[in-house]
Order: sequence, then structure tokens, then C-alpha cells
Amino acid sequence: MTSGSSFTPVNVLTGFLGSGKTTLLQRLLRSPRMKRTAVLINEFGEIGLDHLLVQQVDESVVVLQSGCICCSIRDDLKSALRELLSRRERHEIPPFDRVVIETTGLADPGPILYTLLSEPVIRHHFQLGNVITTVDVVNAELHLSRNREGIKQVAAADRLVLTKSDLAEPGQTAALRAELARLNPSARLWDAAQDPVDPDFLLDAMPSGTLPDSARYRLEGGVAREPELTAGKLAATGGLSRHTHSVSSFSLILDRPMDWTAFGIWLSLMLNRHGDDVLRVKGILCVEGTDTPVFINGVQHIVHPPRHLEHWPTEDHRSRIVFITRGIDQGRLRRSLEAFCRLRAAELSVA
Amino acid sequence: MCGLCGIFLTESHWTDATVGATRSGGRTRRHERLHRVAQANRILKQYGLKLTDWHGSAYLLGGQTGQTAIVPSVAAVWPAAERLRKQSIDPLDERLIEVLEHD
Repeated sequence: MTSGSSFTPVNVLTGFLGSGKTTLLQRLLRSPRMKRTAVLINEFGEIGLDHLLVQQVDESVVVLQSGCICCSIRDDLKSALRELLSRRERHEIPPFDRVVIETTGLADPGPILYTLLSEPVIRHHFQLGNVITTVDVVNAELHLSRNREGIKQVAAADRLVLTKSDLAEPGQTAALRAELARLNPSARLWDAAQDPVDPDFLLDAMPSGTLPDSARYRLEGGVAREPELTAGKLAATGGLSRHTHSVSSFSLILDRPMDWTAFGIWLSLMLNRHGDDVLRVKGILCVEGTDTPVFINGVQHIVHPPRHLEHWPTEDHRSRIVFITRGIDQGRLRRSLEAFCRLRAAELSVA
Repeated sequence: MCGLCGIFLTESHWTDATVGATRSGGRTRRHERLHRVAQANRILKQYGLKLTDWHGSAYLLGGQTGQTAIVPSVAAVWPAAERLRKQSIDPLDERLIEVLEHD
């Protein structure tokens, strides 16, 4: 379990090419709240960033023995974060209390998250905050159809930022909102063209607010959707959903408290065999032996350390898990999870 | 690596997190490891494999032909088991689900 208090939060800002990542970063950095922020960017674009601490990193991926690309260490990122840490300790740079990493448009978020969560030095000094993904309303269909990483970026997001909605055709924004809510119901949407910049909302990881709660979402037929979505609006996603139809999201609700060990065995086995197609797992669990919920969050093969929340976000104390998967049968996954959670090893006597 | 016994000291895995019963004092760490081994063996026995705790710091996975593998966490058991058995272990396998439902 991680307490998180002494760690420097790291936010990952990702999104398709030209979707407005740097523009969003510029707006964020204008906030006084962001003064003590170090920024790591993959490439210097045309838009200059006038900020005290900006460092460029080159993309180099070291693929580990497993051969899985998402479980790869980003060597460049590792070096950059370690250097930041070292220079801060030696007072060579101004102190910073947050890091924002802006990725390239084609970056797979997996290796970045894996590096943050598994690299021994980094994981003891930094804590992963929200993953923010920008989505260009005008070009979303093009990006999602041509860019496999685009789906991964959407699935990995805690916050989805719509950009260029002021340039979109009528109905385009509503259709995209519907499709994004279908693809990743656990992420909260923010419209850059309409909403004022709120660093707290965008950057701060707030476990109690990261799941669909009863005020904003309802659970219908096992799928979490925003209340304003109607069948008509979903149908309007038309061309976009043609490219994303193999990706589905659903929410499982389990009535009985679960054995953490049985759940860990199931999820680790599931990710071993189907990790490439389990784009996201996020949920709060009612675990036997504890009164407070346990928050879990995983992206493909990568799972954050589970965290105890201080209290349940609502009166509903059942386990709720949102899955974003590609080509996996929802009914069979549910049966599998329930069968594994029935595992009851005989109580063992320990000498 | 531990200089005395040669055991790799690995970073903890998320499946090793102390959640629930252990946290509230119901199980010791050793009891939790044995519980984890017993749970994993409910799956592994379907494939002729067996897991045992190894010095409280790793797990020993063995097959019926004497092949063994030492793994640092439960998550590392599954790829090792698939290598030993030369077959996939799929939690969505209908046969496995049925066996567990009637276990």
C-alpha cells in the first residue's frame, strides 16, 4: 500500500498528433498553482513553452525479457526523472513539487506508466497522478482509425480533454463525447474550448472521484454511461464507432466481499493471457477483512499498487470494476471472475 | 541478492500487497503466503503443477516430470507454468471455469 504523501506526483499528458497537448500545457502552466512544476517533453514543437524547468527527453524503449512492449522501461524517461531528482537534491535547480510529462502523439502510454510504477528509484520518489489525454474533436475519427495507440491513450486516461470543439460541425462534439464515454466510462471529460482551466480537476488524482459515482453516472445493463447519453446520441457516433467497435467497456458489480488473494490470482492470470486486450481495469473493491474500499487501477499488463481509501464514496458498498477490453466476451469474463472468487482454500494451520 | 543464501531480493509485486484480512491482523505474512499458494494450487492442479513457498521470499513451481522454476511473485507463476506445460493457462477457458464452478 502506498500512502502517497511524500511522493512527487507525476502527470502524463498524452494525445494524438496535433490534438493540442502543448496548448493545454501552456494554459495549465499559466496557473499560479503550477509554478513549482517540472515539465518533461518528448519533442519541442512550434509552440514555445516559457517555463522555468523544461527538459527534452528522447524516446528510447528498452524491451524487457518478457517481450511485452507495455512492460518496457523507457530508458530516456528513467534517466530524465532520476536526473531531476538528483539535481533537486543538490539544489542545482529550483525545487519542484510536480512533474508533467508530455508524450509524443504516437506514444504508447504503457511503457511510460510501467517506468513510473516499476523502476526502483523512481517508484520510491514519484507517484503517478492523473493521465490526461487530449482528443481533437475535428480529427478524432481519423486518429482513432489510423492510430492503434490512440485507443490505448483514451483507455489509459483519467481525464479526457476535448479540444477544438469550437471548430467542430454541429453534433460532432456530442457524438464524440458519447463515444468516449462508451470507450472509457471511468474517465471524466473536460472541454478545453468551453471550460476554464482547473489544474486541480485535471491533475490531481482523487481516488474517490475516479470512478463513476451515482451523481454523475448510472449503471445500466452493466455498462456505466453518462446520464445525458441517449440511444439517439449513441447512434449518432456512426463513423467513429466503426473504427472502435471491437473495444468495449463494461462495469461489473459484485454483491459479496471478495478474497483479495483470489482476486489477485484471477487478475494476474487474466493479464498474463489477455493483457494486450485488457486496456484498462479500474475499480473499488469490497474486500473481506476490511471495512474500507480498496482502489485498483491497471493499464494493460501494468497494475498500480492497490490503495485503501478512507471511506466509501457512496452508500453502495459493493465491488464495482470497470473494464475496457478488446474482443473479450463480457459474460465469460464475469463468470470467470466469480468462479475464481469462489476459491476457498482450506484454512491453513501455521506452525 | 542476499549474500548468505543467494536469494534474489525482489521488489514487491502488487499481488503481494497486504489487503484485507492480513491488514486487520487476521493473518500473518507467512499465513498470507500459504493462503496465496493454496489458492494458486487450486488452478495449477488442473494442469499437473504444484506451487510451494520457497524461503518466504519466492515460490517454487514444480511439474510431474521434475521440472521446476523459481518465481518471485504469483504473477510470475503463470508464464512459468505455461513454459513448463507448453500450453496456455486461460482464465476464460470454458473447461477451467466449469471446473472451478463445481469445485
